[in-house]
Amino acid sequence: MSIDAIAPVAGLTAPVLNLGATSAAPPASGDFASQLSASLQHLQDMQTNTDNLAVQAATGQLADVHDYIIAATEANLTTQLAVQVRNKALDAFNEIMRMQA
Amino acid sequence: MTQLFGAIGIAGTGVTVYRKWLDAVSDNIANLNDAKPTSQAAFQARYVIAQAVHYGKGDGGVEIGGTALGDPNGRLVYEPTNPIADENGYVRYPDIDLGSQMGQLIMAQRGYEANLSVVDRAKDAYEAALNIGKG
Repeated sequence: MSIDAIAPVAGLTAPVLNLGATSAAPPASGDFASQLSASLQHLQDMQTNTDNLAVQAATGQLADVHDYIIAATEANLTTQLAVQVRNKALDAFNEIMRMQA
Repeated sequence: MTQLFGAIGIAGTGVTVYRKWLDAVSDNIANLNDAKPTSQAAFQARYVIAQAVHYGKGDGGVEIGGTALGDPNGRLVYEPTNPIADENGYVRYPDIDLGSQMGQLIMAQRGYEANLSVVDRAKDAYEAALNIGKG
């Protein structure tokens, strides 16, 4: 009985860091730095939206309580994702820095 | 285009719809006993119409498509002592059944809570994904 060879893993060509950006960040193409800045911009927009909802809640203009809580949750998750990606990128950088000439 | 953390946003639209349903039911119950002269229309019950957002494609979720109104004729009640009664002693009350409204109230509340538990579970799931490779 013959066993098929294991298929090679396809290269990671998909965008590494596209934090759900729909219009702000064009997916695929573009180098890591531009994708990173687009993602951070998306994160910034999310935080601003949450801040606006918090002001509305404080001034009594908020129609839906859950809108604020959900926006805050999404901003929190997006921040965690950005931090994780930052940590991984930093780990890779440090690993290269440790290489002996 | 699917969104990151899409389940949370989709469940959020559901919460909004059920909140509006709760508002409609509370409006109906608040105006349950509005007597009107027979020359005027009775209070019309409000019924929200929910519909899917871009069904099967797009971001998903639910939205309010509009509001349907109940019967403006209401029901005629014989109340000759009422100051706004007509010469035959009748006034017009809204045609709203309190039992039916209470049933809708429970459904709206449960739907609201169900969508919020989806938000909660989705948050836990996404956090588990973010914990991959931590530490």
